[in-house]
Amino acid sequence: MTPEELYQAKKAAKKAARRNKVEEEGKLNITSLMDIVSIIVVYLLKSYGSDPVLIMPTAGQKIPMSKADSPIQDGIPVYISKRSITFNNKKIVQIDENGEIDPAALQAHLIGPLYDAMAEEADKAKQMAANQGKEEWSGRIILVGDQNLKFSTLVDVMYTAGRAEFREYAFCVIQKNAG
Amino acid sequence: MARRKKSNLDEGEVEANLIPVMNVMFLLIPALLLAMEVARFAAVNVTPPKFAAQADEKKEEKDKEKPLNLKVFIMEDGYRVSASGQQEGADAGKSADSNKPTIPLAKPGAPLDDYDRYDYAALEAKAAEYKSLFKHETLVTISAENSIPMQALINTMDAMRGSDCKLLLWKQGEAEPPECYFYHAIVEAGAG
Repeated sequence: MTPEELYQAKKAAKKAARRNKVEEEGKLNITSLMDIVSIIVVYLLKSYGSDPVLIMPTAGQKIPMSKADSPIQDGIPVYISKRSITFNNKKIVQIDENGEIDPAALQAHLIGPLYDAMAEEADKAKQMAANQGKEEWSGRIILVGDQNLKFSTLVDVMYTAGRAEFREYAFCVIQKNAG
Repeated sequence: MARRKKSNLDEGEVEANLIPVMNVMFLLIPALLLAMEVARFAAVNVTPPKFAAQADEKKEEKDKEKPLNLKVFIMEDGYRVSASGQQEGADAGKSADSNKPTIPLAKPGAPLDDYDRYDYAALEAKAAEYKSLFKHETLVTISAENSIPMQALINTMDAMRGSDCKLLLWKQGEAEPPECYFYHAIVEAGAG
């Protein structure tokens, strides 16, 4: 028998053995995938936002940067972007391209529609605090502004919040060099 | 007595079905990605003038120390700093000189939206100087011209607080951190 014939014979034998062999069902081993997914879930849980207030900046809003490290405490956010003031997920007042509040809504630093919305929210919050047996309502407002927001507009919003009985203010900032 | 034959199921190794767990995990990932903090938010607490005055009165009674009344006014051409009613760098015999800033701009001629136009380092040095004289004072009144952007105000508050100031670890009742200068900011309109 020549080497070529020997090779062909072995090949034929292997082929025959393969044909006779019962095919095993292919199983997907998901244990390693499960490990990876578990690690991702743990990492994401660790990075989960744990602030008491969920800050959702409006489109195009650039929140100021600061070295401050104080955490955000519970309060009601007011979003003041370059083009509008948003409170309770409602656009309350428009701001023009020069950063000025619509003059129709402004009267001696008081932003009328914002005052109405804030006063209503303050009443609700006070009622809720009374129902929960709390002695005093904190009246905290979180001002989520824009880097380019004019000081005059900021003062108007603060004045309006003060008139609506909010007594504590905090500027929301993005932490610089947060570790 | 005939012995009962064990079924094949009892003998075979039972494998846990991980598919439902995987389904839950895959749903958790996008949910957590949405709730993830891309940027860490912090708060800069500010006090409106009326309530600060009340707090100041109480503190005054407690400390029996002459208040500093430190005021920083952010102008388009720099900072005007005054303490105890006297502006730093004002002409002789005058309590204030609105034409001249105490700390001029670091970048004269830079536009208002260039937030590094102010000399924050000089302001912080000034805050450190005042703090060394009034160790228990933490209040500063900050005001600005109408056109000043919020970022410049925040940077000014950072400089007055001290760039190395970490208030997160400081607890009430403990001695205040020496690297923190004036961290109780009162923001008011037209204090200049």
